Amino acid sequence: MELAKNLQTTINKSHGKTDLYVDLAQSISGILLVGFLWMHMLFVSTVVINPALFDTLSIGLDKYYLAQFGIPGTVLLIIVHIFLAGRRAPLRLRDLRIAWRLTRMMNHYDTWVWAGQVITALMIGIMASMHLWTIMTSWPLRAATSAARVASVGPADHSFGGFEFPFFIVFYVIFLIVGEYHAGFGLYRIFVKWGWFERHKMGWLLKGITVIIIALGFTALYTFTQIAANLPAGGAIH
Amino acid sequence: MRQLTFSIFRFNPNIPGDKPRMQEYKLEEQDGMSMFVALTKIREELDPTLMFDFVCRAAICGSCAMLINGRPRLACKTLAKNMPSRITMMPLPVFKLIGDLCVDTGTWFKDLQIKTEAWVHTNKKFDPKALEEKMDNEVAEKIYEPDRCVECGCCVAACITANIRDDFIGATGINRVARFMLDPRDERSDADYFDVVGNEEGTFGCVGLMGCDDLCPMEIPLQENLAYVRRKMAAAGLKLQFQGVKVS
Ligand code: SF4
Ligand code: SF4
Ligand code: FES
Repeated sequence: MELAKNLQTTINKSHGKTDLYVDLAQSISGILLVGFLWMHMLFVSTVVINPALFDTLSIGLDKYYLAQFGIPGTVLLIIVHIFLAGRRAPLRLRDLRIAWRLTRMMNHYDTWVWAGQVITALMIGIMASMHLWTIMTSWPLRAATSAARVASVGPADHSFGGFEFPFFIVFYVIFLIVGEYHAGFGLYRIFVKWGWFERHKMGWLLKGITVIIIALGFTALYTFTQIAANLPAGGAIH
Repeated sequence: MRQLTFSIFRFNPNIPGDKPRMQEYKLEEQDGMSMFVALTKIREELDPTLMFDFVCRAAICGSCAMLINGRPRLACKTLAKNMPSRITMMPLPVFKLIGDLCVDTGTWFKDLQIKTEAWVHTNKKFDPKALEEKMDNEVAEKIYEPDRCVECGCCVAACITANIRDDFIGATGINRVARFMLDPRDERSDADYFDVVGNEEGTFGCVGLMGCDDLCPMEIPLQENLAYVRRKMAAAGLKLQFQGVKVS
């Protein structure tokens, strides 16, 4: 705590309530994003019950401009969350080194989980952008278009020596796990910090929810591949 | 009895040219052997230059904290029988290294006391002749919970935030503030406390990693106490804003 006494920290001391607001905003943006993600997965899973239901829901979201406002809103929220939560991550090389060494040395469960959250955050940053790009370029979102996307293989332009690889299904399996992991444990950490529930019980509950949602996601992905198999050839998008 | 191998961090910053290294010692395990007993045996029989701290040998003084197999623990409270036969010992991070396993937690904690103003603030005149005022038993027990902290520094060493932010007061610091918030004799208002911990050096700097809660050797309910301070400070901060003036 030596540094706390020098002039730099004296004149730049945080005054007022900025730190409180920033911390609150971080928690709130996190809660909203978890809410979004879980709802998103529930909506997607309607395809398991019936693809027509999925389409009705999707058309409804477009018709009442929920998608048109919801998507940019969520993107904005993600960007805000990156800035707010990112300030907690070890960013300097020195900090990274300390954090990594200590995590490995202590081998403490929650600290490992947190290291996982930092890594999944980076992956989500990249994968969410890719996901967003692909859905926007094959708009509107319908069961058939989603199925075609999930089942598409590529890059398969053989004139350039392309190969066939079920890129999107692999992509979505990883994205699903990474996203739900980050959301589930993120919510756990928020609850732990504010102390609203008993820590261990709540941890198990959130793990349960996360596993259920991942399972739902897997079922939905499987359903999409089945739909894609029945699509007329050439009807595939991408 | 097992043969134990101790791999111990050796480095004395006061000896010019000395370099940090791990040194191995072998000992026969004994019944009820604690790490304190083991270290004393090593110093008496194998290497008189080994430096480490002990006072009470009974988890009261908090001076024997070190990283044992990577985790911050009190050496006097850690028994060999709960350990594998290979044991590594390192000094606590964050604190200033004195040599080998000795660190200076005293200076850090003194700074903490000053920074958090860890004393009862009251305008009452102290009358040495008057009978001491009685405290409600329930209140006394509540205060006693956070007050059990022995200032060992384990929670600070276990906290990544404290490891990378020099000005973070750690779980022990926030817990200390909780202790005074619970104490009816302390006349500080919430606004006063907000000045002390309502920032990133205090309660809003905590990331919720729970290394502190899981590894505090006194098993102080740190998560609860940290969350209590955070909630109280958030409530105070938001209320302050509504009325535009300081309120208690
Ligand atoms: S809170 Fe626990 S771990 Fe931290 S200094 Fe006090 S006794 Fe040690
Ligand atoms: S909860 Fe985590 S960040 Fe907060 S004081 Fe404890 S170890 Fe540090
Ligand atoms: S020697 Fe006092 S706590 Fe270990």
